[in-house]
Amino acid sequence: MDFKELDPILHSQLRLAVMSLLISVKEAEFTFLKEKTNATAGNLSVQITKLKDAGYIDIIKQFNNNYPQTICKINSTGITAFENYVKALQTYMTL
Amino acid sequence: MEEGNLSGEESMQLITKMIGQAKNQYYQSGLGALLWGFSNFICFTLAYFDATSTWFKLPFNPFYLMFITFILQFYFDGKERKYKRTVTFKDEAHKYVWLAFGISVLILTIAGGIADIGYIVLPLLLLLFGLPTFISGCINKFPPFIIGGIVCWILCIVAFFYQSYFTYLLVAAGAGVAWIIPGFILRARFYKNIANKNNGF
Repeated sequence: MDFKELDPILHSQLRLAVMSLLISVKEAEFTFLKEKTNATAGNLSVQITKLKDAGYIDIIKQFNNNYPQTICKINSTGITAFENYVKALQTYMTL
Repeated sequence: MEEGNLSGEESMQLITKMIGQAKNQYYQSGLGALLWGFSNFICFTLAYFDATSTWFKLPFNPFYLMFITFILQFYFDGKERKYKRTVTFKDEAHKYVWLAFGISVLILTIAGGIADIGYIVLPLLLLLFGLPTFISGCINKFPPFIIGGIVCWILCIVAFFYQSYFTYLLVAAGAGVAWIIPGFILRARFYKNIANKNNGF
């Protein structure tokens, strides 16, 4: 049986949750991710930065009606990484 | 959510749970449907009375009122953006369907008006009304839009046989069934969701 290595960036509860949410939508606001993951703003911010540094997501900071808004979007590298992660996971699951 | 190592099964469960949560995000306040429903209903009803009545004469073309609708639409779009926290792939499909509809209506009404094709423009308009309404209903699994779209197509068939002022009323009825009634239903759901502290449905 050939075991694929699980991507350490994705193999973390909060980062995986964020990527799973982002893969299902075109883009999402930081507040939406915070609500759905029940994470603290600080922790979420750190994990999102790690995903951005890995090149998996794009972050857009802008103002909406005078309020700061952070929008997160999964990119093609992120989609490929997520798909590979799921495939690798499946090899473990079929044991 | 705490950080920690996951087993393969836990990872799969987490992925499924999160995808399920994101999938159900759909924001629709019903304002657009109500706005366009009422403006079409009012304009076509006024056009009917303007054309048939001897005592009711408008000093302007009633369809010029549509410009106000465009301005209001931009205003509401800006306000709604504040509540919308995700852009889903459904939203994208929805946007392009209605954009294509808007362009088609503009082409039909402007080119049809210049070419002076007469009342035939009205059944064609009903045909176009039905298209995005039906698609929206199917994409969002919202039966009032599906029924509205079908009713527009039935009215379109009727309108082909009534090449007269009466067709104005058929278009007004189409706007009422396709957008005003579903608009009120969406609005009621929207308020219910706000009460449940959950934007969108």
